[in-house]
Amino acid sequence: MRKEVKQAIGGLIMVSPSFVLLLVIVVIPIVQSFVTSLGNGEGGYDLSRYQFLFADKGMRANIFFTLKVTLVSCALVLLVSYSLALYMRFSSGKLVDWIRKTYMIPLFIPGVIATYGLMNLLGNHGWLARLLLPLGIELPRLIFDEKGIVIANIWFNIPFATMLLSSALTGIPASIIESARDTGAGKLRIFLRFIFPLSYKTFLVALTFVFMGVIGSFTAPFLLGPNAPQMLGVSMQQVFGVFQEREQAAAMAFFTFLLCSVLGYFYIRSMAGEESANR
Amino acid sequence: MVRLKKSLTALSALTLTVAVLAACGSKNDDNASPAASDSPSNSPSGSPSAAASSAEPVQFSFYFTGSQNVKDLWDTLIPMFEKQNDKVKVKEVYIPSGAGAEPTYDRILAAKKAGKGSGDIDLYEDGINVVSQGAKDDVWAALDTSGIPNLANIDPKTMTDVSNMAVPYRSSAVVLAYDSAKVSAPPKTLSELLDWIKQNPGKFAYNDPSTGGSGSSFVTTVLYDGLPEEDIHNSDPAVMAKWDAGFGKLKELNKSVYGKGIYPKKNQGTLDLLANGEVEIIPAWSDMVLQQLGEKLLPDTVKMQQITPGFNGGPTYLMVNKLSDKKDAVNQFLDFVLSPEAQEVIVTKMNGFPGIELSNMSQAMQDKFKGVSEGFRTFNIGDLGTEINKRWQSDVAAQ
Repeated sequence: MRKEVKQAIGGLIMVSPSFVLLLVIVVIPIVQSFVTSLGNGEGGYDLSRYQFLFADKGMRANIFFTLKVTLVSCALVLLVSYSLALYMRFSSGKLVDWIRKTYMIPLFIPGVIATYGLMNLLGNHGWLARLLLPLGIELPRLIFDEKGIVIANIWFNIPFATMLLSSALTGIPASIIESARDTGAGKLRIFLRFIFPLSYKTFLVALTFVFMGVIGSFTAPFLLGPNAPQMLGVSMQQVFGVFQEREQAAAMAFFTFLLCSVLGYFYIRSMAGEESANR
Repeated sequence: MVRLKKSLTALSALTLTVAVLAACGSKNDDNASPAASDSPSNSPSGSPSAAASSAEPVQFSFYFTGSQNVKDLWDTLIPMFEKQNDKVKVKEVYIPSGAGAEPTYDRILAAKKAGKGSGDIDLYEDGINVVSQGAKDDVWAALDTSGIPNLANIDPKTMTDVSNMAVPYRSSAVVLAYDSAKVSAPPKTLSELLDWIKQNPGKFAYNDPSTGGSGSSFVTTVLYDGLPEEDIHNSDPAVMAKWDAGFGKLKELNKSVYGKGIYPKKNQGTLDLLANGEVEIIPAWSDMVLQQLGEKLLPDTVKMQQITPGFNGGPTYLMVNKLSDKKDAVNQFLDFVLSPEAQEVIVTKMNGFPGIELSNMSQAMQDKFKGVSEGFRTFNIGDLGTEINKRWQSDVAAQ
């Protein structure tokens, strides 16, 4: 009994630093901004700021735009990352070595610099346009457009997502795949019945990271995006810094948090499912 | 996988701890300052303050805002000053434009109202709006030549304009920057400019007005075109009703500007488009154009032209917080900023018009500013600027 109490106390002590950190930098700010967002500017408290999010045409466009860019970016990033990870896991040769050596590079290039690089590359008179000009190919508008934001998001998120996914794929024992092959399972079947289920958890982790990163992104959408509609991060900065409507900005921040927590719910549920399965 | 997660958690925890610690650090600074300013040194300028008499170097905080060139300027001037005056240290606090510089003034005012002295902001740089607002709220210290001998170099008229509450240490104006290789006869009036934009679709760009003064000046000039002259000095919300015609014009321009409605971010955004030849005319700050011509970032064929009615322009002011307890140190610094030596740096490095009278400068300097140092107007519309940005975002950008 005493030993158990000791253990429990020890556990609590070990948990407390991360709990306090979480409380101070996540829970309290969220509660604070929720309280701020309820203020209607005339001393009263109501949901008018949230009503504005959906009633105002520009704001509604911003929300849909953010969701669209986020979902498209997530889908493309995961598609590319998963293919890359699969390729690196099940093939070998010079090309694989090269991919393995180089795919992390974007992680080490600061965001603003990469963004300006993309502007120079993809801009109206940029490198790509100049290279394609002799071939008679005219590029659609990439910069100051949602396509630019999506391209930047792909650039920023692929390395990390690939890293997560390839470590998960490396963890799948070769014996499973070989025995499946021995019993005559086709490639697609192996993928659908073994590889994907075994890496599904990590897939979800990668999705969560990409989603959170993209939905709250600022630098790339600010520099590459259109003036309207804006991503929520850019709009939040404008509402807070330029229009100086703290309550409205807080409402937008809280709404973004709600969007993220939907994904967080699935993530936590799947993690909890894993815990109970292990027991 | 597990290891990776662990190290990630450790890493993020570390980052967060550092961030929290850093935040705490700045908070401590904030807390320390009211205590310091509670000392009986809230004396008028000129009398020796307790802080200045000690042997320790006095450090005062200087808040300023603007584009990168403003930061570069102070990064040059402050070390020059500190080399000459080892008793004074300047702590610069740079707030990039569009990042919420306005709250700095709110902080000064809040500290005063709360009886907390200077709020650790001793010297502040801003435009005429804030100078007059602060004069109304009684937060700026009056300046005189006994504290700052070099004030005598400034045109006395500009000093009386601000009731000696601020030092106009440099000025600049928004002008039309155009590529003379492509535009032989640049527009000279606003209506000529609007016609030109419509006749040359896609060849004109102005930046998102909430991200930089040059785009904002274009928008304001269009909005106040044809309105009575006194409205540009009026911050009464009643004026907002008169903007409709102007916003109508801006909306109509949307399809004729660069990219059928693309408004780059920041003053530099449009300059980049001019530099790579995508557009031919932009509104831009004269100092940025001159600087980038000097650094060969813009083609030599780029020239400047002021229009009538003129774009926004005017001096940038330095204001001393009335409740600062380091006024002697600040005065020393201001005296240095107005010295011919520092003014030359302002002119050569930043291409601002000097704050001291142009006649004090060489003929070469006077020629450099021909045609751009005149004709601009000073808008003083207070909070209406924010309203313009808001309405521009919903009416013009998101039309």
